[in-house]
Amino acid sequence: MHMGIEVVIFAIKLFLVFNIIMGLASFCTWVERKGSALIQDRVGANRAGAYFDFNLDIVRGFPSFLRPLGAPVTYALLLPVVTGIKIAGQLGIINTLLNDAVKALFKEDFVPDGVSNFMHSLAPFLAVLPVFVAFAILPFAPEFTVLGTVVRPQLAPIDVGILFFLAMGSVAVYGVALAGWTGNNKYSLLGALRASAQMISYELAMGISVVTIIIFYGTPDLFKIVELQEGSILQWGVFRNIGTGLIAMIAFFIAGMAETKRAPFDLPESESELVAGYFTEYSGMKFLIFWLGEFAEIALFSFVMVLLFFGGWHIPFVHLPAGVWWVALIGHGVLMAKVLFFCVLQIVIRWTLPRFRYDQLMNLGWKFLLPLSMVNLVIAAAWELSK
Amino acid sequence: MISTQLVLTLSAILFGLGALGVLVRRNAIVVFMCIELMLNAVNLSFVAFARNWADLSGQIAVFFVMVVAAAEAAVGLAIIISVFRASKSIETADASELRA
Amino acid sequence: MVAFAILSVILLVSALGVLFFHNPLHSALSLITNMMGIAAMFALLDAHFLATVQIIVYAGAVMVLVVFVLMLLNIKEEGPRKTTRLFVLSCFVAGGLFMYFGVPIMYNAFAQFPAFNPNFNGSMQTLGKELYTNYIFPFEAASVLIMAAVAGAVMLAKRKFR
Repeated sequence: MHMGIEVVIFAIKLFLVFNIIMGLASFCTWVERKGSALIQDRVGANRAGAYFDFNLDIVRGFPSFLRPLGAPVTYALLLPVVTGIKIAGQLGIINTLLNDAVKALFKEDFVPDGVSNFMHSLAPFLAVLPVFVAFAILPFAPEFTVLGTVVRPQLAPIDVGILFFLAMGSVAVYGVALAGWTGNNKYSLLGALRASAQMISYELAMGISVVTIIIFYGTPDLFKIVELQEGSILQWGVFRNIGTGLIAMIAFFIAGMAETKRAPFDLPESESELVAGYFTEYSGMKFLIFWLGEFAEIALFSFVMVLLFFGGWHIPFVHLPAGVWWVALIGHGVLMAKVLFFCVLQIVIRWTLPRFRYDQLMNLGWKFLLPLSMVNLVIAAAWELSK
Repeated sequence: MISTQLVLTLSAILFGLGALGVLVRRNAIVVFMCIELMLNAVNLSFVAFARNWADLSGQIAVFFVMVVAAAEAAVGLAIIISVFRASKSIETADASELRA
Repeated sequence: MVAFAILSVILLVSALGVLFFHNPLHSALSLITNMMGIAAMFALLDAHFLATVQIIVYAGAVMVLVVFVLMLLNIKEEGPRKTTRLFVLSCFVAGGLFMYFGVPIMYNAFAQFPAFNPNFNGSMQTLGKELYTNYIFPFEAASVLIMAAVAGAVMLAKRKFR
């Protein structure tokens, strides 16, 4: 019986985490499309579903004695639905979420000549699976008690939490390298090698920022890290230890944007505009998987940054009782609001800044961020020791 | 409860398979990969012993084996690249001349 | 226990894959699977930190190096075996090695050592403490080793200027 409860709770958590990933990725896709349109002073997608309308011919199918009743009831029931679809269409939601997916599903799925079919199909999954798995260690609400059992909303409560996130960042390189290799042309391979070199270089700065965070909190367990940030706003990771938290946050943010190959570090993607990128030979559903993985990675970085640096689910000047279920809901809402803020921030930065040249990118990673993170680490360790 | 004997047997099988790979394959990089397989098998038996005797020296030995393996990977692959540049082939039988 | 059985199957199948695939890139992918399996096995044996470090270092760095070298040098498959005599002899040698380690395990020759100790604290804190107090000299020596390896690799793989 006890084992059954655990399995049910785990299944519910799995469902919730999957919904969070898909919801965040879809939201980021829509904000990318419409938000970029707003930033670039154009209208964006607003055609699909915007001219949806209904007529009351269905009332003709009603039995005759119901027909007088039929029209107002149908009108009342369908009016919200139709208005909703029209508004969603004008905002570009139906275009992004429905049309693009259906179009990608029906495109021809080809494999380049002379390339192993297995490896060509494996590459999108290798690029996307680490991102999805890394969501398992993230807690998405405070702990609460229901029906006598303490429920911790974290899918995999391991005690080396953050290091697992670094491990998944290391594995994500394979998807890129394999995607470029199976393109069977030199441009694809060179683009993929550049992208993997960029990812590997910025993993170092990110790892050292994470080590700085572990020094602040004394434990790599993500749940305890968020718990240690309650109290005042000065307990948040960003404001700790005379500014080393701030520098660690900046280094983590820059390294994170380089890891996800977002602008201004999007040389791998810009090569699709110039010559060919590492996913040039991908069409249809496989390309959509890459795309979804990229937005899920944006959501993952925002999530981790909020958990590490910005207090997770704690509201700055409000103290709520612990362990109650509605506090968990409020905490979840606050967490999602902060995560969405950082997702939108990353998207806005992408459409604002021009991209770096490759040697500028490498200089930034090795000659600026890495020494900065290391000096930051030493100062943070000295401050923590002197306490 | 996982019995240590089972884990050690698994580690011995992996080690034997790695040794077979080193002896049989002729591609230098695949030989290198089989060496890494042997090192992983040894790491597995170290961790099994560390858990068996509640002694952390096993895990520290694994830590250092990983460090040395990473260093060896870097240098070994650099050597393979140099040999490839000189003789245009990475069959182990083709690197038989003392002068490139 | 079920997890251990499934993991052992994955480990053995991927090790056979490393040996018997013709395309070296498929061998590399098999080895990556093997290393992930070994990391999971570490986690099953209460060595969580080592499992994560295995993924970061081995599966995430060493194998990336190997895959890059395979891609850049465009290594093709090797030809068919020239003679089967060498293969059979190698099988016997490898089998002998396995027996050398396997027989003492199966006859429980390490029963003379202290018995199984159930209070095992393999957490990150104790490992770190042990590493920085008793093993501090090998730790520093390891960092010097890595620096030497990096310098050596750069020097070996550089193009000589004519």
